[in-house]
Amino acid sequence: MSVKQQGYGDHLYKIALYGTLVVLLAMALLPFIYALSISFRPYSEVFGTVHWIPKNPTLDPWRTAFSDLATPLKNSFLIATGTAVLSLIITIPGAYVFGRKQFPGKDIAFYAIIVALLFPYILLIVPIVDIWNDFGLYNTIPGLWLAYQVFVTPFAIWILRDFFEGLPDNIEEAAMVYGCTQFSAFLRVILPLSMPAIIAVGFISFLVGWNDFLFANMLTTGSGPRPAVVQLFISTTGGEQTSWALLMAETILIGTPPTILYMISRRYLGNAFAT
Amino acid sequence: MATDTQQARERDLDGVRGRFRLYGQTIKDNWFAYALLLPTLAYLVALLWYPFVRGIWMSFHSWPFLGEPEWVGIQNYVNLFRWDAFFTSIEATVIYGLAIFVQLFLALVAALVVANLDRFQNVVSGSLLVSYTMPPVVTGTVWLFLLNPSIGPVFTYLTNNNILNEAIYWTVNGDSAITVVTLVTAWTFWPFMFIIILASRQNISDEHYETARVYGASRLQTFLRITLPQLKPAILIAVSIRLIWNLSKISQPLQLTGGGPGYETSILAVLMYNLAYLDGRLGVSYAVGMVLLVLTLAFVFVFIREFNRQKEAGA
Repeated sequence: MSVKQQGYGDHLYKIALYGTLVVLLAMALLPFIYALSISFRPYSEVFGTVHWIPKNPTLDPWRTAFSDLATPLKNSFLIATGTAVLSLIITIPGAYVFGRKQFPGKDIAFYAIIVALLFPYILLIVPIVDIWNDFGLYNTIPGLWLAYQVFVTPFAIWILRDFFEGLPDNIEEAAMVYGCTQFSAFLRVILPLSMPAIIAVGFISFLVGWNDFLFANMLTTGSGPRPAVVQLFISTTGGEQTSWALLMAETILIGTPPTILYMISRRYLGNAFAT
Repeated sequence: MATDTQQARERDLDGVRGRFRLYGQTIKDNWFAYALLLPTLAYLVALLWYPFVRGIWMSFHSWPFLGEPEWVGIQNYVNLFRWDAFFTSIEATVIYGLAIFVQLFLALVAALVVANLDRFQNVVSGSLLVSYTMPPVVTGTVWLFLLNPSIGPVFTYLTNNNILNEAIYWTVNGDSAITVVTLVTAWTFWPFMFIIILASRQNISDEHYETARVYGASRLQTFLRITLPQLKPAILIAVSIRLIWNLSKISQPLQLTGGGPGYETSILAVLMYNLAYLDGRLGVSYAVGMVLLVLTLAFVFVFIREFNRQKEAGA
């Protein structure tokens, strides 16, 4: 990948390259490593001198985190899974058409969807709370599934369109020669071929449903399906005595699933934006 | 005269009929495509544009949560511009928006470093993404602890090693509070730009660099003449989307400072949220939202214009 350059500056260049790399990695990871270390400490060891390895490691914060977050994590899981399924149902047909069919109005329709990426989503919280209330969607899990489609759809369309476009030309025609209709060619040939990209998009939609704070907080209350992220937010802004070891265990517990899903799916994602 | 009008009318009617026939034919020919497109377009109208338009309508009302709306014309907007806190909020939003420069710098440096690694590109770029893949509430909580003035490790370390005499209570001072909030936001979301810029950098063919080397170009020249111009579209997209999204992010300001002291860290999005969520004044809240929308578009517009201008001057 790298271009080999000749010259006496080579050593200096290497040192600068790896030096910068170490600084970047430290900046990105040290906060989480320290948080992880705190999550295994007893109450008395959270304060005082700064050290990385817990002296009296304990699992208590994790036990409490698991039991405190059991219900919110279940809510998060249901919300995120439904968001992913619904987003695939909505976007796969559209992305397929954009990727593989020619029809009048195609460009306009595509940009009308993509421009939604540039929309400041915070502007939706006010009308959506009001509309969701009218339709009985306020404080329900399906209400969140629907709301998250706003975030997910433009992304999903973009990524899936690129994947569909990259499939070999004329496979539908070939399928139709063997007796498929337009629709069954899509269902039985294109969809199986696209599974990797579809799963990747499903993961990303899941991540959006799991991570979001804005709608989750606006559209749920304590008596309803409150997800883990909102529960954590309330614990940090509550103002009472804070158990930081517990909170750090909770942050890592909540933050790990979306991180793993993203790492699995990311090789299908980057190129969508790299024009 | 009369016949002329009649003929003209018939010509028009023919035109209209013709156009409808044409539309009918187009839909018939492409029914499959349009049918598959319908779910996406329906979403777009129902969940984005309808609520948006309804929001604008709401901003001209006094609209209490669960109460009776009352038409007030432009009074919500007039009141905003007479409210001192509103201008504090705009100032905070502009400073918060500057996070984009920190993010662009980090993303550009990281993308160039990673693209020049011989090995471990995937592991390294994956590690750099963690702050972005975790929920912002999670990263906000981590920083809330790390930067806690009385017990957090950052100030403990600095005071124990006599670098600082005493911890900085940054939440009580407007300047330090907005600085911390802005930097935490920059740190949380910069990998989004890194992903886009890195993918674009990896798409640049090695041949360009071979050629540059053959002609004896220095590393700086290679960067300015080959890398940067080819990264331009990716940078434009990354900065525009990221800037808009940054200005919509409220969980970290709410966690770190709650918008205070006073309104010093109440960026417009936070102001909007507090007006709607705490006060239940949906009409005023959306009026703030409209100002945020205009400000966001202005930022993006200025950025794109400046970016294009500098490109021309540099070429």
